[in-house]
Amino acid sequence: MCQKELRETMRDRRTIITLVMMPLLVYPLLSMALNRFLVSSTAGTSEQTPYTIGVETDDEGSLLLAWLEDPMSTPPAAILKASKGNLATFRVVNTTSVGLSPKQALQEKKIDLAARIEPGNPPQLRLTAFNGDPASQGAQRILTERLHWLRLARAEALAESQLSDYTPPTDVSVENIGVAEKPSMLGTIVPLVLVLMTITGAVYPAIDLTAGERERGTMESLMASPVPRSYILFSKYVAVVVVALLTAMANLLAMFTTLWAGRLLPLLTGGEDAFPWLAVLQILGLLVLFSGFFAAVLLSLTSFARSFKEAQAYLIPVMLLSLTPGMLSLMPGVTLNGPLAIAPLINIVLLAREVLQGTAQAAPAVITVLSTIGYAAAAIAVASKLFGSDAVSRTSGQSFGAMLKRPTRSTPTPSPQAAALTLALLVPIYYLVSNVLMRIVPELSITWVLLLNAIALVLTFGLIPLAAVVLARCNFSTSYQLATPSPLALLGALLVGLGAWGFAHESFVLAKQMGIGGLDVDRIEKTRQTVEALKVAPAWLLVGTLALAPAVIEELCFRGFLFTALRKVLSPTRVIVTTAVIFGLFHVVTGNMLLIERFVPTTLLGLILGWIAYRTQSVWPGVLMHFTHNALLNLATKYQDKIAFLGEGFENQMHLPATWLIVLTTTTLTGLAVVWFSTRKPQVANSNLATTPA
Amino acid sequence: MLHVDSLTKSFPLDDGVLTAVDDVSFRISPGEVFGLLGPNGAGKTTTMRMILGLLEPDSGYAEVDGVRTATDPMAVKSRLGFVSASDGVYPWLTVREMLLYFADLYAVDATLAEQRCESLADMMDIKHLLDRRAGELSTGQRQRVTLVRGLIHDPPVMLLDEPTRGLDVVGVQTIFDYIDILRRGGKAVVVCTHRLDEAERLCDRFGLLHAGKLKYCGTLNELKEQTGQASLVDIFVDLIRN
Repeated sequence: MCQKELRETMRDRRTIITLVMMPLLVYPLLSMALNRFLVSSTAGTSEQTPYTIGVETDDEGSLLLAWLEDPMSTPPAAILKASKGNLATFRVVNTTSVGLSPKQALQEKKIDLAARIEPGNPPQLRLTAFNGDPASQGAQRILTERLHWLRLARAEALAESQLSDYTPPTDVSVENIGVAEKPSMLGTIVPLVLVLMTITGAVYPAIDLTAGERERGTMESLMASPVPRSYILFSKYVAVVVVALLTAMANLLAMFTTLWAGRLLPLLTGGEDAFPWLAVLQILGLLVLFSGFFAAVLLSLTSFARSFKEAQAYLIPVMLLSLTPGMLSLMPGVTLNGPLAIAPLINIVLLAREVLQGTAQAAPAVITVLSTIGYAAAAIAVASKLFGSDAVSRTSGQSFGAMLKRPTRSTPTPSPQAAALTLALLVPIYYLVSNVLMRIVPELSITWVLLLNAIALVLTFGLIPLAAVVLARCNFSTSYQLATPSPLALLGALLVGLGAWGFAHESFVLAKQMGIGGLDVDRIEKTRQTVEALKVAPAWLLVGTLALAPAVIEELCFRGFLFTALRKVLSPTRVIVTTAVIFGLFHVVTGNMLLIERFVPTTLLGLILGWIAYRTQSVWPGVLMHFTHNALLNLATKYQDKIAFLGEGFENQMHLPATWLIVLTTTTLTGLAVVWFSTRKPQVANSNLATTPA
Repeated sequence: MLHVDSLTKSFPLDDGVLTAVDDVSFRISPGEVFGLLGPNGAGKTTTMRMILGLLEPDSGYAEVDGVRTATDPMAVKSRLGFVSASDGVYPWLTVREMLLYFADLYAVDATLAEQRCESLADMMDIKHLLDRRAGELSTGQRQRVTLVRGLIHDPPVMLLDEPTRGLDVVGVQTIFDYIDILRRGGKAVVVCTHRLDEAERLCDRFGLLHAGKLKYCGTLNELKEQTGQASLVDIFVDLIRN
């Protein structure tokens, strides 16, 4: 199916024009224009191009040249170094030879600077420069400075020869440290152009493969074929992404080759003239991500349109809207952090700029990647809901509102689309909420910090999925897997919780020893402060906010809502792994920090919890296990001084004693075995889920 | 072969609810051509779409070879062939590529698909067009291509929605020949049309739809007997007026 979509698209000459002709023509033309612009804007300002000074007599010219050629007029080494060791050169011409006074020659821009020397002691040098002309102003500034250095150097030489005890006030030497920030306009324009070209590449196939299909009259036959709608949409999605990506690659290659051939690369990278292979590959990766995101956005819009024209009408505002954040990224001082890291399109442009200039930071980059994946998933969810749906295959007029209407009939579990939309909302909202928390935390007491943490958890992971369940009229019991488990299953989960916290502790210690997450001094200090703060917090508060709230809310969200939604389209193993990885990723991102060391333990915990939820068909054993696990882990931190007598491992957060590890492993394995034996393979419920309408 | 039982479908409107199909039932046997007749808006296409699984019925069911659309929509779809007057082609694919693409959608084995492609093309006289781009074909040629496309997976049941709409005499005759081939091939055929004169020549049995309800169902003689009218046109005029 993908092959057919691609074959059809690639044969269309409109695709070929966007894909091949545009980059081949646009960039050489742009480069030529840019070259001309650079030549004209830097003419005369470069140290290699001599400035032209016009004088009226040859004597004036000779005197001026003598001053400039005097070594004493050379600026100090530090200043020379700032201009990369280049000393501006001057050419002196007698303008009367062409029948003009120096001022007239300057008016006609035949020279950069007019000079007149009036005799006297000292002689008076009168300079005339042209307002607004960078070359003229540059010549005037540099000449004035050079003569100033000459005056100073001569005065100093005289002072040294006349006064035996003369010492200058100071000798200055300069050293530069750090990486220079090179805000380059071209560095932002290039990613922006690439992003816009990628959009251009994706637009035509997106329209053609959806609205075009309907206009040609092939949609109904396609929908009548025994292939799930989501498969058809996915093949179209792949085709659009591939064409967008090919366009991006063609543009990337053409642009960089043109810049390289035109020796403009240093303007982009702010450094070497060598071809920046690594940066190009990294940007290509970003464009893959962006293509995936934007293709989904386009398909979600064009899937609704019934004709090419209608699709174009939908897309024009989107293209204009895309330009606005793109333009914002051109503004000086805009960097990839805070809310900008989750702003679609602009985050990719800014990240690409930072990649090009070698200043990209890991945390905002990860946020950018994750949020873009989230938005792409949401857009695909919308597209799959719209593509070939009743609303479009029916002849009566429908609106986008139809999609947003609450269904009239209730459904047992949320759809995967609802889950994707919820995740897309959770990523930016969770990021914003955790950022706000990180900002206000230093001013608050530990009690408030813990309470706010729990409230934020309820507001994000609690309320957003709940809203999705209510809006989609999903059954609470089946959506959240609220079925009552057997007492034996609860016992098994409790035992796993009693044992598993030790492994979480161990993996933290291991991560710390292996240097995963790059725990720097500042982070270690912060962790130490948190541990100290936890030690003074009341136990009930710790258990309530760090064990009970996460256990209930996170389990309902990940092993309830997300689990049942994904179960419709994925096998049990894949559901368990997917929910565990998402669970792990959410624990990594906290404010602007990436707590990478948390990924492995939380994902492992997620795997166990997912397995328990799958086996028991209920969220409650997971809640119990999660609660026990978190409560013990936090209480162990709180009371680590008091229980140190049990073994030296607790001190300084070192490995647990071997006896502890044996006991904990046995408890965990026993718990898992109890869960295993207390549950039979949940085939009946699976088949129910599988046939639930999406 | 095809069994439609109490199919009902309503659409919400701004000022109420439109019942497009109201408790429609009929059965079609192999080798039988059933004409689902009715004026525009009678509910023919909605019924067809529910049989195809494109629309979910509010109640009732459609069953093909004992498989219900609601229980296993994909199995039902794979047993149905569908040709519509508004059928289009993929302009950038060759006729062969397009036919093989649809064969692939219906999970027909590649070698078998090639064979069917050749034999059906031969039957519908489009063999010389197989390697031409579909965008270059004339209207009549496109029509024959879409007719072949509907048969590429050799379905036991064929649904034809307004197959003669917009066609000239030659085109209409092609459809007549096609339906004759289907009948001889033992396929159960549903033809949706409002062209009563053509239906009378084409179909073995008729279902007369009006305002979503199946008013009459039977052979021409049975209908004449039931209504006391002389022709399908008279039956219809009487139905609409009363």
